[in-house]
Amino acid sequence: MRHRRRAVAADPEKKAGRPWIAPRDLWTEAVAGVLARPLRSALTTLGTVLGIGTLVITIGVASTAAHQIVGRFNALTATSVTVEVPPPASDTVPLVDWEGIAAVDRLAGVESSAALAQTDELAAVQVRTNDVVTPGGLSGQTLAVAAASPSLPAAVRGDVTAGRFYDGGDIARHARVAVLGDQAARLLGITEVNDSPAVFFNGHSFTVIGILGGFKREQRLSTSVILPPTTARDRLGLGTVNRVLINTSLGAAQQVARQSPVALTPNSAKALTVLAPPDLSKARKGVQGDVNSLFLVLGLVSLIVGAIGIANVTLVTVMERVGEIGLRRALGASRRQIAGQFLMESTTIGLLGGVIGAALGTVVVVSVSAVKDWTPVLDGRLALGAPVVGAVVGLLAGVYPSLRASRMEPVEALRAPS
Amino acid sequence: MTGPLAPGDIPDEGDVIKLIGVHRTFDSDPPVHALRDVNLTVRRGEHLSIVGPSGSGKSTLLNTLGLLDSPSSGDYWLDGVRTGALTDRQRTALRGSSIGFVFQSFHLLPYRTVEENVMLAEIYRRPRPGRARRSRAERARAALDRVGLSHRHGFRPDRLSGGERQRVAIARALMSEPALLLCDEPTGNLDSENTLSVLDLFDQLGAQGMTLVVITHDEAVSRRATKRVRIHDGQLSQEYA
Repeated sequence: MRHRRRAVAADPEKKAGRPWIAPRDLWTEAVAGVLARPLRSALTTLGTVLGIGTLVITIGVASTAAHQIVGRFNALTATSVTVEVPPPASDTVPLVDWEGIAAVDRLAGVESSAALAQTDELAAVQVRTNDVVTPGGLSGQTLAVAAASPSLPAAVRGDVTAGRFYDGGDIARHARVAVLGDQAARLLGITEVNDSPAVFFNGHSFTVIGILGGFKREQRLSTSVILPPTTARDRLGLGTVNRVLINTSLGAAQQVARQSPVALTPNSAKALTVLAPPDLSKARKGVQGDVNSLFLVLGLVSLIVGAIGIANVTLVTVMERVGEIGLRRALGASRRQIAGQFLMESTTIGLLGGVIGAALGTVVVVSVSAVKDWTPVLDGRLALGAPVVGAVVGLLAGVYPSLRASRMEPVEALRAPS
Repeated sequence: MTGPLAPGDIPDEGDVIKLIGVHRTFDSDPPVHALRDVNLTVRRGEHLSIVGPSGSGKSTLLNTLGLLDSPSSGDYWLDGVRTGALTDRQRTALRGSSIGFVFQSFHLLPYRTVEENVMLAEIYRRPRPGRARRSRAERARAALDRVGLSHRHGFRPDRLSGGERQRVAIARALMSEPALLLCDEPTGNLDSENTLSVLDLFDQLGAQGMTLVVITHDEAVSRRATKRVRIHDGQLSQEYA
């Protein structure tokens, strides 16, 4: 019995194989299906185009704007810390003395620092280069006078353009020397110091030993006469430190800003005011956060609307193509392949919407940047990921219509006109 | 159905179709007996017509033969395969490989060219030796050539006459080299002239050894067959020559 059955009955697997479709054929069928109704497909992509476009624009403009704001904090401002010292109550010891900055120098991350003394009384002083008042001649220039640590050139990141800056020896000797800011020197007509020019003010004379220029911070010192602290205290009563300039290595500013008041005056650190650059990462996040949240919601809503649109149109398409589904089933397509084709069609529409949306979004971001004179900042992953998001939207939207298509009975489906 | 088979129930090599005691009942109220104890054998190369008025069970018989529907009881052997034991996927694969369908309404995809419509017959099968994907277009042309339409390969179906459309559908059915061409009212939508051209084509295919089963209510179509069967109230009546 068995051998006779085997002799005749063919193995269906061997004879017919299993339903199978080459990925290329699936793709071709899906694209042909999408292109069969080009206008409808184009309109169907609109929701995804809007959604993806909004997302790309939102994220792109936000990151561009954030970059723009953060871009203003260059390496210089990011490493500059200034400590303001309030004037002491009368007859008490100053909060910070001139040697105090040595403690700041020892902090990790500090590259240079200098103490500075300036007062309102000495902010506008008549300075002359000659003690003799020439009738009709220049009576002098109104300049500021300041006292500073010998480390000032490094602290303001300036250059001594002529002569030298005063050093510890000058300070110890209470030497009557002065260094001019480059603007002050120009106003006074002093270009070089080899012949030891002198400046006169408030009844004192000082030998100019150098000119300091190229200020990167504390630019107002360029119109100042800068004196050694000891000399300034003796002659002008300018002895109280009211400002400490600190330069840090990149990234250390926040930490140095926290530590330096304690290092300068451990007992009343809270009395000091620290001016430090804002935390960059926080600034960037803050800006992005503000711009993003509203528009992200808008973009996501558009995407959902787009997905519903794709689902709707795919469902209509399935209902219109019942006859075709029956034919394909008759030609040997399995339920899975029918579902696969409609899924692929909705995914293609989503992908198309994603590509167009990402492209339009990128163009808008670049245009906005061009108009605002900004540098467009767009994450490459965003531009490449957006079409993928569109495809996923299309895929999800196609699930229900595809299931409907695959569940159709071929007998029923073939009755529909194709 | 899975019990021991009587010796006479086993189809022989030359049988493309063998129906043994096939019943098909639809569970409505009252139940409809669409097919009652149908026994039918179609041998390779035969041209069989099945004639009957509407409501006679013709469509059910066609669907059963086309593996689109399963018998409630009885055995259906198609090309040496006992179809009752197959899974849905296996039936689908067997349908795609062994049966070429020709429908009354042609079922051509309007948005594809004639050639693409014909090639559709092959995409749901794994490429076999000598039938690579690359040479598919050539085979489609050859199939179109067999129905005399190779000059129309780039046309869309809406630019063809009804007879030409049906010939394209026949080319598509021939494309998969089926064991059986199953035609459902193939001339139902055609005028007399086009009907003749399609019937002539059937004669040619029969002469080439193709097995044809044509279901029709048209006696003129039926007369072209080498063997005729009448269906009435779900029962096949006498086969007459």
